[in-house]
Amino acid sequence: MSDHLYVGKSIPRTIEIDKVTGRAVYIDDFKRPGMLYGKILYSDYAHARIKSINIAKAEKLPGVRAVLTGRDVPDVRVGFLKDQSVLKKDVVRQFRDEVAAVAAISPDIAREAIDLIEVEYEELPAVFDPVEAMKEGAPLVHETDARGKPLRTNILPLPWRFQAGDIEQGRRESAFTVIDHVSTTWVNQCCMGPSGCIAEFDMNSNLTLYNQTNVIFGDKGRISEYFSQIGLKGKKIRIINPIVGGSFGTKLDTDIYEFICIQLALKTRRPVKILFDREEEFRALPPRQPARFTVEQGCDREGRLTFRKIEAILDNGAYTSWGATTPSVMMMPVSSLYRVPNIYYQATCVYTNNIYCQAMRGYGNPQASFAVETSMDTLAEKAGIDPAEFRMINRNQSGDLTPMRLKITSCGLEECITSVKEKIGWNDKKGKRNGRGVGIASLIHVAGGARVTLSDGHGIMVKVDEDGFVDVLESGTDQGQGSPTVISQIVAESLGVRPEDVSVIFGDTALCLWDAGTHASRHTFMAGNAAIMACEKAKKQILEMAAEYMPRMIKSDFKKMMKKDPEFVEPELDYSLISDPANLDIRDRKIFLKSDPSHPHFNMDINKVLRRGLHVGTGESRVIAAEAFYDPPTETLDRELKGNLSMTYAFGTTGVEVEVDRDTGEVKILQLVAAHDVGKAMNPTLLLGQVYGAVYTGVGYGLTEEMKLEKGKVMNPNFLDYKLLTAMDVIPIKPVIVEPGDEAGPYGAKGVGEPGLVPTAPAIANAIYDAIGVRIKDLPITPEKVLEAIKNSK
Amino acid sequence: MLNYDYIKPESIKDVFSLLKEYGAEATLIAGGTDVMVNIRNRKLSPGVLISLRGLMDLQYINKNKGYHIGGMTTHRMLEQSELVKNELSALHDGASRVGSVQIRNVATIGGNICNAAPSADTAGPLLVLDAVVVLEGPEGKRKIPVAEFFTGPSTTVRREDEVLVEFDIPEDNSRYGSAYWKHSRRKAMDLPILGVAVALNLAEDRTIVDARIGLSVVAPTPIRALRAEEYLKGKSFREDVLLEAGRIASSEASPRDSIRGKAWYRGDMIKVFVPRMAKLAAERRGVI
Repeated sequence: MSDHLYVGKSIPRTIEIDKVTGRAVYIDDFKRPGMLYGKILYSDYAHARIKSINIAKAEKLPGVRAVLTGRDVPDVRVGFLKDQSVLKKDVVRQFRDEVAAVAAISPDIAREAIDLIEVEYEELPAVFDPVEAMKEGAPLVHETDARGKPLRTNILPLPWRFQAGDIEQGRRESAFTVIDHVSTTWVNQCCMGPSGCIAEFDMNSNLTLYNQTNVIFGDKGRISEYFSQIGLKGKKIRIINPIVGGSFGTKLDTDIYEFICIQLALKTRRPVKILFDREEEFRALPPRQPARFTVEQGCDREGRLTFRKIEAILDNGAYTSWGATTPSVMMMPVSSLYRVPNIYYQATCVYTNNIYCQAMRGYGNPQASFAVETSMDTLAEKAGIDPAEFRMINRNQSGDLTPMRLKITSCGLEECITSVKEKIGWNDKKGKRNGRGVGIASLIHVAGGARVTLSDGHGIMVKVDEDGFVDVLESGTDQGQGSPTVISQIVAESLGVRPEDVSVIFGDTALCLWDAGTHASRHTFMAGNAAIMACEKAKKQILEMAAEYMPRMIKSDFKKMMKKDPEFVEPELDYSLISDPANLDIRDRKIFLKSDPSHPHFNMDINKVLRRGLHVGTGESRVIAAEAFYDPPTETLDRELKGNLSMTYAFGTTGVEVEVDRDTGEVKILQLVAAHDVGKAMNPTLLLGQVYGAVYTGVGYGLTEEMKLEKGKVMNPNFLDYKLLTAMDVIPIKPVIVEPGDEAGPYGAKGVGEPGLVPTAPAIANAIYDAIGVRIKDLPITPEKVLEAIKNSK
Repeated sequence: MLNYDYIKPESIKDVFSLLKEYGAEATLIAGGTDVMVNIRNRKLSPGVLISLRGLMDLQYINKNKGYHIGGMTTHRMLEQSELVKNELSALHDGASRVGSVQIRNVATIGGNICNAAPSADTAGPLLVLDAVVVLEGPEGKRKIPVAEFFTGPSTTVRREDEVLVEFDIPEDNSRYGSAYWKHSRRKAMDLPILGVAVALNLAEDRTIVDARIGLSVVAPTPIRALRAEEYLKGKSFREDVLLEAGRIASSEASPRDSIRGKAWYRGDMIKVFVPRMAKLAAERRGVI
């Protein structure tokens, strides 16, 4: 057992009382004096030429302060591949294309003005299927690239191709091989708090953007680049997070509405807020991208994997955001989930006239793991090996170097598989085919940062005042994950104070040091390590102060006591012991002697020392402040797309027991066991919150959630027809926390934000197969699909 | 576009005079769970909302020579009524599955029926309970069987100057067991992919004395499956009989493909749930 006071304890969340009582200021509540409300007009077509835009009526509407079209703003290209403009001037390529925007004195007037804008279109042929889009003669979504060079294909110039070992060699060594076609569809991140921002320029044209991004410095960088192209080079940019109501990937890239908001603020010289409604969340935000996989695997007679070959086609939509980089994360499960010596992987992203895609929790991993874990089951069956045993044979282990060159430092996969089997009652329940069945699937994910940009660092600043209160300036974003509490625990533990003494300020580019963003399950790991480093420095300063002042203060106390009580005899003490900071430490607000923690005299409240030592007169006064920047020794992917992206990796296994109604095709989850190697739980309650939330999202991904697009248009842009599960649909989840501890993690912790989602859908699919002998390889697994498959199998 | 007046009269007479005064400008609002959604989605843009919430005397459930339910009775009241649960079970099933507790606390049964959605969860149950709608206008009251009330999606025989004040449900329902199945993807905040209501009068020897089958979402209005009902009468309550009734009922429906469900699936589910609901109704009747 560790002797930690705060780390590893389920300390209640601190600031959430404001959220549940409605006091927290989300972007919806946030107002600036004189603020206007922006609204965006979107395209009426999936692909069309804009013939004319008439804004006269909108401009005349009382209360309207600005109407912008593509002709009113600089024609600057933005986005990951610079393949779109802020307001579309000539051609629209998807239904969410931003055609015009207004700013008005109220949201209602802004909306009315939008309705008064008349746009004349000439419809163009469109393509909605990535396979169709790759064919010769398919309508081109983009006629030229960012530089104006003519394009001949809808295939993105992002060739994701990875090879390790020799596939043919692997095939020769195989006793069994299988090939499967699996597919997944669009799902929406469904943040509770809708997207929005407030852009405000001062009279020097410096920008403050109150924004929900979870990558404040990335956002600042992209806006800075935009500024340099619209004549605002050199103007200052400050990004401030309001309270963020969830991001799940949506706030990773700078979205088009942010640039539009900036343009409206620039035009009106007033603060402008754009706030999405739920329909816009569905129609005008980039969702998780659909993918189709052809997955081929082989194993030898003993069940050892021999090769894995995966080809993926991703529907990119009309433009490119970070979604186009998800194949890099897909590569992780493709190359490194279970031990496979020979790998071939290719992913093709294709432009279509569907809405474009972005990141979502798991970032490609849920799609790819659905492919891998479907194939693992079909191969196990062909080889005649129990699916759980098959995974055990091929499990990753500590010390592995995977074909992608990921260094597996700690790995609890064996324990995860074992505990899932035991808790779900695997051996008694599997293989019955009686309408009830069990299924299993595992995951690997980055859990110690993810180096996708040059710096994967996180900066933190710590200052301590005369009362012993600690302010932490933290460059991450609190998007609801509970970091204010976890970081307080880590700071309290490493500095020697209590969590309630610590205040954490998040998300302000002016106050905080650089950070790569709160994504990729990296925040606790990165900020935790940075916090420990900063706290060590601050602690050193406090202990130096203590070594200087403690002997004097103790002696002076004795003098006071002697004055009061003439009988008092001053004890003879070796003050040299506490005159050396190396001999001292701080714990639970007390400064004490390391060699004798229970010494009757050599211990003192930290605030007593700080009050005595901080403000002492000319030349002697000082502050306690420290900063640290943790940038781990990880690697970016090399030209072969290999490299150790992360300091450590998370593993986990999900087991599901289902009951399938053969008449209706309905699937009921009877129990779900989610075992996760988390390194070390910093706050078990908060950690379980992450697991429950992610698992639940995974159940939706597996069974109910899908954005229904008809010819590029989202047909179910609301929670009535988008089947996000409700509180009434909860399923029994048994979490299992596996804590091998990781040397690189803060107090041994790994990241756990995304993992719970990843293996959920394939485990459900595998359980359905076990229950009724029918395998669904297309998400979500709707009752209609199940029933149709049952009919076809008869 | 959100500029409308809101008036809450205290008597039904005042409602009539306000309706006369504002004419086509006016929209009646009861619980508001459909009206407010329609305003937000711009399907409605009333000049004035005339609230029926002042007519609290239209909130009641009683049994007196038949069952009487006031038009302003909320779904939550139906859900919490032992009388409805025990003697009008299908209506209890339907009312309890609407939206969420918050919605059921305000949404009224009169509103659910006047809104005339093909998916209304109380429509199928009221059909199989042979309910009669009581409409009141300036000239007085008139009674229309629920089966004749709906004329199409969102349209009914109610005239614009009329208010739905009551549902009358015949006393002989005490001899029936009834059940309603809402087939949906979620357990809350959902509309049915289809709804199947069954009321059965079974003799002690398991002969089906009478059967009523109501289907929703499978036609422009909620419908009775009359041929399936006719088939069941006089037959013995047996699995094969029920399955055949399900097949006949399915052939009486005209389901369509929509984003909420495929036509073939809806047709299949009628075959599954007519027998299942018939069994549940029989169980509740205490015969099996």
